[in-house]
Amino acid sequence: MLKINNLSVNIEDKSILKDFSLNINPGEVHAIMGPNGSGKSTLSNILSGKKGYEISGEVLFENNNLFELETEERAHKGIFLAFQYPLEIPGVNTNIFLKTSLNAIRKAKGEKELDAIEFLKLVKEKARELKFDEEKLNRQLNVGFSGGEKKKNEILQMSMLSPKLSILDETDSGLDIDALKVVSDGVNTLRGKDNSFLIITHYQRLLDYIKPDFVHVLMNGKIIKSGGPELALELEKKGYENFN
Amino acid sequence: MTEQIKTDFDKIVKTSAFSEKDVEQKKIYLNKFLKTGFPTRKLENWKFSDLSQIIKKSIGELSFYNDYSFSNKVDTSIFVEGLEHNKIVFINGRVEKVDFTHEDHDKIEINSDFKFVNRLEHNNSLLSLNNAFSNKCYKITIKKNYSLKKPLVVYHSTNNKIKSKNINLKLEFQLEQNSSLRLIDLFNDGAENNFINIFYNFDLKENAILKNYKIDKLQNKNIRYSYNNIEQDNNSVSETFVLSSGSNFSKNEINCNLKGEYSSAFVNGIFSLNEGQHHEIRTIINHLVENTKSYQLIKSVLGENSKSAYQGKIFVDSKAQKTDGYQLSKAILLDETSEFNAKPELEIYADDVKCSHGSASGSLDENSIFYLMSRGLSYKQSKELLINGFLLDVVEKITDTEIKNLVKNMIGLKE
Repeated sequence: MLKINNLSVNIEDKSILKDFSLNINPGEVHAIMGPNGSGKSTLSNILSGKKGYEISGEVLFENNNLFELETEERAHKGIFLAFQYPLEIPGVNTNIFLKTSLNAIRKAKGEKELDAIEFLKLVKEKARELKFDEEKLNRQLNVGFSGGEKKKNEILQMSMLSPKLSILDETDSGLDIDALKVVSDGVNTLRGKDNSFLIITHYQRLLDYIKPDFVHVLMNGKIIKSGGPELALELEKKGYENFN
Repeated sequence: MTEQIKTDFDKIVKTSAFSEKDVEQKKIYLNKFLKTGFPTRKLENWKFSDLSQIIKKSIGELSFYNDYSFSNKVDTSIFVEGLEHNKIVFINGRVEKVDFTHEDHDKIEINSDFKFVNRLEHNNSLLSLNNAFSNKCYKITIKKNYSLKKPLVVYHSTNNKIKSKNINLKLEFQLEQNSSLRLIDLFNDGAENNFINIFYNFDLKENAILKNYKIDKLQNKNIRYSYNNIEQDNNSVSETFVLSSGSNFSKNEINCNLKGEYSSAFVNGIFSLNEGQHHEIRTIINHLVENTKSYQLIKSVLGENSKSAYQGKIFVDSKAQKTDGYQLSKAILLDETSEFNAKPELEIYADDVKCSHGSASGSLDENSIFYLMSRGLSYKQSKELLINGFLLDVVEKITDTEIKNLVKNMIGLKE
């Protein structure tokens, strides 16, 4: 599904990712763990199309060259990024945004766009599953939402759009135990043979709820070790500094 | 210009049925105008918008003569659908229709023989020009305790019979005690390259409520100046909303005299401008007695080579303790060639007042655009959504729900 081959990324002479390679097959859940500044967020930004990076190497998503696709085309093809810091967008109603987004993607996929009634039925159902306050759907996007609500909103969007590849950028940070459980349930519901996940996190905690197939340790722009879920436990014990 | 204007004036006097006394009065106004001519940037009030130059550049020679002896056919397709309303229709500056069918006729008085607005500031040469050249004008009085059941829409239309002309029109409104009026000005221009000069005078008695919504939405190559003078007695409320978008050049001036305690004035405005447009809102709110309130919110979205200016003055007289005055302007510059000018002026002579002002401008937030695009929206959709969101809170300030929805539809704002 996703093939990253020898990806190197610079911002103004500063090297962020060095010769980074990763393969994600359909249905797999990969976790990337790493300390602050190791390049985790840069990776997620690049995969979803953020501008401002100098890039070399190759990224293929279902055999499409990702770098030839605009941000919205990547979304149309099924890439979703749950933001580490979801943005507050004043004046934009959450429901209107969700409907515009869903229909843009359905349209690109050649599916029928949902009318207001179909949409509301779906969004209410998903909100209930995620214990997301329905009243917030009528508020301005993320404005005045707590940190946890913003993160839940990301997962709500994810479950509405059912993307092929979901990238979760530190979705667990700022969540209490209950919210963490709800968010994990959201992810586990979407898991299936066609849906893959790339989970970026500092802590092992999230991986108790979302069991990864692979764990990679990212330090200084490089994967220094890959393994199964046990790697996360080892990392938790030793800490990043003593890991090498 | 001087010769042209004098010749045109003589021609008007010959072809119109003004009384000798009126002609004398008009001559005085003409000479007053000729002394100063069109305002230039030397005047503080016009520092961002040199009208004299703007007229010269985009119109060239103006003609001041208008033949008001024949009537124009009213094109009913311009009428707002889905909103029952009263109408006044101006075509090329001539009143073609006055229709208050929805109202109790003994509650409204229409005086079609009203002539000069002379109580306004004396050094405004455009008022002198208006008084010298405007044709028939109307004074509308809303009687005590009467609220108009339906809004009044004033249609400002021009057709292609006129070009490079100066059009002057005015209306006077008196709102007696406890009366109220919802007034929508709709600009609808088929003509190009004219200078349209509009004066409104409002007299609000105790507890009267005026809501004036000015909608300049349709693209047109005219230069428009519009002046609202609002006099307010005790407990009266004025709400002015300006959508400034369609004309090539437009300046709205709102002068508000809060003369009665507990009177309040609200001014909200949107500039939505593109290629080469230049618009301005100038407000002067005079807090003249205790316990008065004013609130102003102006937002701009400025495309390539467009320019907006907001000059907002809050004057607080030494008697006007407990004044509450607020103004805020925000602008989104969509291009490096767009320009926003804000000049807040606070002149305060009382010591127990609450007055504040603020202004901010910047470009569209790229991170927000990235966020929306990562959800499958195109760049254009994302940009529109952000701009709509930015402007929505100004439209939300419209207190009349029916008209708020009308305005939202007109400018394509979605909730």
